[in-house]
Amino acid sequence: MRLIALMLGLSSVAALWAAESLPPRKEFTAQQKRWWAIQPVTVTKPPQAKDRAWGTNIIDAFILAKLEEKGLHPNAKADKITLLRRASLVMTGLPPTPEQVQEFLADNSSHAWEKQVDRLLASPRYGERWARHWLDLARYADSEGFKSDETRPNIYRYRDYVIQSFNADKPYDRFVKEQIAGDELYPNDPQALVATGFNRHFPDEYNARNLMQRRQELLNDVTDTVGATFMGLTYGCARCHDHKFDPILHKDYYRLQSFFSNTRIEDSARLASSGESANYKNNYQVWDLKTRVIRDEMAKLASLEVAKLDKENMDKFPEEIQDAVTTPAEKRTPIQWHMYYKAKPQLSHTEQEGAKLLKGEPAKRYALLKSELKKFDAIKPAELPIAQAMIDNEAPGAPKTFVLRAGAYDAPLEEVQPGFLSILDATDATITKPNRLPTSGRRSALANWLADAKNPLTARVMVNRVWHYHFGKGIAGTPSDFGVMGEKPANKELLDSLTANFTATGWSLKKLHKQILMSSTWQQTTDFNANAAEVDPDNKLLWRYNRRRLEGEAIRDSMLAVSGKLNDKMYGPGVFPPLPPGVVTRGGWKNEEVESESNRRSVYVFVRRNTRYPMFEAFDMPDTHESCARRNITVTPGQSLELMNNTLVTQWAKQFAEHVSNDEGVSEDAKIDRAWKMAFARTPNTEEKKKAAEFLTKQTALLSDGKAAFADLCHMLFNSNEFLYIN
Amino acid sequence: MNKNLGHHWPVRSRREFFQQAGSGLGSIALASLLNAEARGAALPMPHHKPKAKSVIWLFMEGGPSHVDLFDPKPKLNELDGQPMPESFGKPITAMGTANNSIMGSPRKWQQHGKSGLWVSDWYPNIAKHVDDMTVVRSCWANGLNHVGSVCQMNTGDILAGRPSMGAWVTYGLGSANKNLPTFTILLDDKEPVGGPKNWSSGFLPATYQGTQFRQGEVPILNLKPSDSSDQRQRNKLGFLKSLNQQWSADKQDDTELDARIQSYELAYQMQSAGPEAVDLSKETEDTKSLYGMDKPETEAFGRNCLMARRLVERGVRFIELYCGSGSGWDAHNNIEGNHSKWCRASDKPIDGLLTDLKQRGMLEDTLVVWGGEFGRTPFNEKGNGRDHNPWGFSMWFAGGGVKGGQYIGTTDEIGLRAVERPCHVHDLHASILWALGLDHVRLTYMHNGRGERPTIVGGEVIKELFA
Repeated sequence: MRLIALMLGLSSVAALWAAESLPPRKEFTAQQKRWWAIQPVTVTKPPQAKDRAWGTNIIDAFILAKLEEKGLHPNAKADKITLLRRASLVMTGLPPTPEQVQEFLADNSSHAWEKQVDRLLASPRYGERWARHWLDLARYADSEGFKSDETRPNIYRYRDYVIQSFNADKPYDRFVKEQIAGDELYPNDPQALVATGFNRHFPDEYNARNLMQRRQELLNDVTDTVGATFMGLTYGCARCHDHKFDPILHKDYYRLQSFFSNTRIEDSARLASSGESANYKNNYQVWDLKTRVIRDEMAKLASLEVAKLDKENMDKFPEEIQDAVTTPAEKRTPIQWHMYYKAKPQLSHTEQEGAKLLKGEPAKRYALLKSELKKFDAIKPAELPIAQAMIDNEAPGAPKTFVLRAGAYDAPLEEVQPGFLSILDATDATITKPNRLPTSGRRSALANWLADAKNPLTARVMVNRVWHYHFGKGIAGTPSDFGVMGEKPANKELLDSLTANFTATGWSLKKLHKQILMSSTWQQTTDFNANAAEVDPDNKLLWRYNRRRLEGEAIRDSMLAVSGKLNDKMYGPGVFPPLPPGVVTRGGWKNEEVESESNRRSVYVFVRRNTRYPMFEAFDMPDTHESCARRNITVTPGQSLELMNNTLVTQWAKQFAEHVSNDEGVSEDAKIDRAWKMAFARTPNTEEKKKAAEFLTKQTALLSDGKAAFADLCHMLFNSNEFLYIN
Repeated sequence: MNKNLGHHWPVRSRREFFQQAGSGLGSIALASLLNAEARGAALPMPHHKPKAKSVIWLFMEGGPSHVDLFDPKPKLNELDGQPMPESFGKPITAMGTANNSIMGSPRKWQQHGKSGLWVSDWYPNIAKHVDDMTVVRSCWANGLNHVGSVCQMNTGDILAGRPSMGAWVTYGLGSANKNLPTFTILLDDKEPVGGPKNWSSGFLPATYQGTQFRQGEVPILNLKPSDSSDQRQRNKLGFLKSLNQQWSADKQDDTELDARIQSYELAYQMQSAGPEAVDLSKETEDTKSLYGMDKPETEAFGRNCLMARRLVERGVRFIELYCGSGSGWDAHNNIEGNHSKWCRASDKPIDGLLTDLKQRGMLEDTLVVWGGEFGRTPFNEKGNGRDHNPWGFSMWFAGGGVKGGQYIGTTDEIGLRAVERPCHVHDLHASILWALGLDHVRLTYMHNGRGERPTIVGGEVIKELFA
């Protein structure tokens, strides 16, 4: 078989497996039809619990019922300090300040907790924290990946869009629609265009040679990501054959893909209002007129070299691609249009690139003209903001979509039309082309289907994700796999009840958060209970709250906050905090010159796809090549080295120490007290005070420097488990 | 329900445990295991008796020309200057060179050793070791360009995101030396294309990712103590331990917290074990010159080869050495100048490594792998260079139970495509894992609902590779 493939010149491994792909399944079995995740959301009344004293809301009723079924009882309520620290870290990714703790402790009103919950939900830090979760799912990065890993200069607007959406409590159904088809559904809203960046976050290589294969890989990425993120399904398993476990047909993979078959990258989508645009146009015209002669001559000088560069690339393409480019626009087929758009960036060398190759007199002349042109910079209008988006081709119709034999781009089987999961709806989707828009309307059909409250997956999947980030584990333990191989929900009645409430209250995430935060379930201690652990070792039924380590981003933000150095400036292009010496990146990493810019929140740190920021990577930041629903949590010596020896951490520890003593007098005892409050939100006990004092004495004697000794103490507070864990 | 279907294979209990951890059991269980390992519990068992304890992968990045090194093709010289006959089948190439004329090889070829394997005059010293080598002349891969192909040679897929082979090995076998990372990467001055993606743990936990050993006295990031003295650091860590123990007093069930306390002890040890491993001052001048460290053109790669031997001695399992990192061997033009340089840079050091491993009795359980991400085309590029060729190229294997002095597979008459016994990258991976005692279909990790394995859905062990 291999030899045959070789002779045919098939270049994909998958092609070799063609003969082994399964025949399509005809009928779904009764068991498949009973699959929990595709059943309508059903609201049941929670059974009456024995313990009538415990619990605040409906969440607790469902949790308690399951626990009592097993003869278990939930843990007691955690103390106020633990609760506030937990809520601050979960909701904002930052520890509470001593002042916030004080305020909460002093508040004896019955609404004290609710006030704190409302305060946290109103904090702009909430959007920054929860956007990071969404960015994991969106495989967000600020660069292309592959070899040169170039910067995507405007993609950060998507990150900002996510932060704004969370802070504004944008209804989740709208959030979904904007990301799938914002350009089609809300053509007058620039933010909706930014939102389509969701499907543009695939790793890409603009100068690929085999463009048909590249296009297929991108479509696969989009299909997998949409299936996982919005539907919680492992669509990817159906790329080569019917899903081995779930009722997702081979065909269904390409039916979903077909919604995107007409999409292309748009990296210069204008975001300005019509007024701004008009203003820009006017100013530009002035500059254009005054500089035209100079620029014409420059362009002419470089033109031969530019043509040469373009031709070099053109010659490297196989004939079918060359044909797609040279065929006149009116004769291009849909697929040729796609190849044209994919080839174009390689055939669009800039004047500057051409000019670099000039020699002798022309080179001198070009340089002279360039300096002449520079004199007009003062009247040149600043570029208008642009977005990197995903839109439809303007071509006449979408290219056909085929089921691909074993997923090989060059092995088409039957043609398919856009459609949903066959087990839910086996008919083709109804596509309505939007009026007066150069777009197919395919994605609108998908967006509307996904955002329908009757869709059994979309809302359930999101509610479960929110639960996952609150408890460290979803009600269904595999948030992007609601399939047979995933974990069944430990409490489906609870999941459904929350889901129904979520869609009924306008898909509001903040309302869902509040419901969860107000529950007694959320407010339990993390204390161990040997009896409960025997019955339910994985705490699936939630007899306690789950203790868990913070993510690298939250660890860094917490250190910065406690050291008083966190710069809470929001939005804008990614920032470049210093890399440890010896780390080189292709694509570039220019350390920030101004310290305060380095000290922005982690969500604003530039995400270089091939070189994650080392501190985040050490603490399990996902690798941005595919959607990540659940981060690994590892314990490695590399993490310890990061916190022990990274010079940034030691610098923050020093600043933390200064922050402590600047704030409060000089007594050592008071300083220890204050440091504990800042790092852990609590005062140290007698034993801890004694240990701290002993350490300071020993270290001061060793270093003959009390300040340095205190900085060492602060450094170790940063390293301590209590600092690194949500408890 | 039977979960062992399709991509899923029955596994031993420890790895099954890890799969569970990956499928949702959560970090607590995972950490308790890390903790157990940290406490020196038994290492995971291989699937079968291993032939090799360690792998040294000599990665000639950029794509060395097989038709100028290990796979002589008289037909090339015959057809020199003529278009490639249609019968060979025109491929899509990286630079669109398939219509260019055939370029002969000016190399002088000789048979070497008892086995009489052919090696060109570019590798006179490596040629002395042919009786310890199997040259696989029928390798093939899927990528056309460097980044995809280097990625595939490391992870099995041309698209980034999967675990590197070294990560799979670490996952499968654990670490034999707690104080050193067990999957290490040595570069020359530049990064390979794709950078750290190539030694990523992909969807496996970060614990298993490769660690780049950097030039200089401090080979690992953040390994240099931030403190002015050892005593100062020890005082701090002592204080940290007391903090952590206090906090853990009522959390005795939480083994992850213990693991974290342990990890500081490991980190402390690594601070001295790392620099010790790369400290060549204890090596004799004879040893250094054996590796070519006494000559400027072979110094850099010689140093890395010697370092690799020291790492193997210290129990490191998987060492990748890049020669020409950043597409050094990528001879689109002037192959004569390009390959002369890189062959010279690697010939003596690799000869030294093989000689040294052998004289120390280490070659028998150290698998040495040589190769690039692909080979080069029979037709010319720019008159005096060659384009990328993933359809047929050579790699060789020595030590670690590999049979000496044999060929596996052939390419066609011009070296364009593998014809007899084609060996895909997955087959090479399956074989390397097999040498280490791991079965590529049983080494699985649950990810997104699939029991993923190192060879995705392909791969067969090349049985005849081994004695």
